[in-house]
Amino acid sequence: MTLWFIRGLLRGVVTTRYPVRPDASAASLPTPPAFRPQALTRPTADRLVGICPSGALRRDGSVLVYDVGRCTACGRCAAEAPHAVTGSGEFELATTDRSTLIKEIPVREEAR
Amino acid sequence: MTAEELRDTIARQFGRSLHIRTLDTGSCAVCEQEIRLLSAPHYDLNRLGFFFTPAPRHADLLLVTGPMIRAFAVAARKTYDAMPGPKIVVATGACALGGVYPDDPFTHGTVDAVLPVDVWIPGCPPSPLALLHGLGVAVGRLAEKVRDLPFTEEHYPERTRGGS
Repeated sequence: MTLWFIRGLLRGVVTTRYPVRPDASAASLPTPPAFRPQALTRPTADRLVGICPSGALRRDGSVLVYDVGRCTACGRCAAEAPHAVTGSGEFELATTDRSTLIKEIPVREEAR
Repeated sequence: MTAEELRDTIARQFGRSLHIRTLDTGSCAVCEQEIRLLSAPHYDLNRLGFFFTPAPRHADLLLVTGPMIRAFAVAARKTYDAMPGPKIVVATGACALGGVYPDDPFTHGTVDAVLPVDVWIPGCPPSPLALLHGLGVAVGRLAEKVRDLPFTEEHYPERTRGGS
């Protein structure tokens, strides 16, 4: 009982200080992907649009329309095209304006 | 009263004590798991003045998860009507934002098809930290960040070499 008490004191407070200070566990969260426009060609973009299970991606001409709100951070796009997609590490995505969650990623035009 | 003044009033009144009613409109319950974790010692949302309440009549904020199945829309509307004003509706998770079941005939697909949503929290599921940020945004205590995030890789130079 005494040991248990002292061990608890030594371990300190486990509660996060989160909004005041950053939380260490945030680094290991699955986060929505970020794209690399230089590597994002039109065929790659179309392939990513095809495999996105939640309809977060849509190609509109030479722009990849990316709805972060719909993204489930499943990582399928990062597995499909690791050269063009990476984790963003962003988790503080709450917004009062839904349209701010819709991002436009430029798609590189192929040289013809 | 302008929207700006209203926002200030809500922030002043809700800034120190806000009661949350959760509403599951057909989610897979992982959002609920993360919401439950907010009460756990690691996150302890009571330290920030947020409390869960089982009754919509005692609630200031409606935390809605799930894609809003059609059979539940009436109950969701009644829950919203039972809450005293001013009230905040927070759509939580990719389903609630229209991600997973946008075309399912049994769902409305998004929460804002039925309820007037004030704050959107993306994530599948949103982590407890993301939920805390969302609650902070809802009461005007934390700043929104996503507006300025381009989600292109130039923005994350330290991550470009190692991949994700």
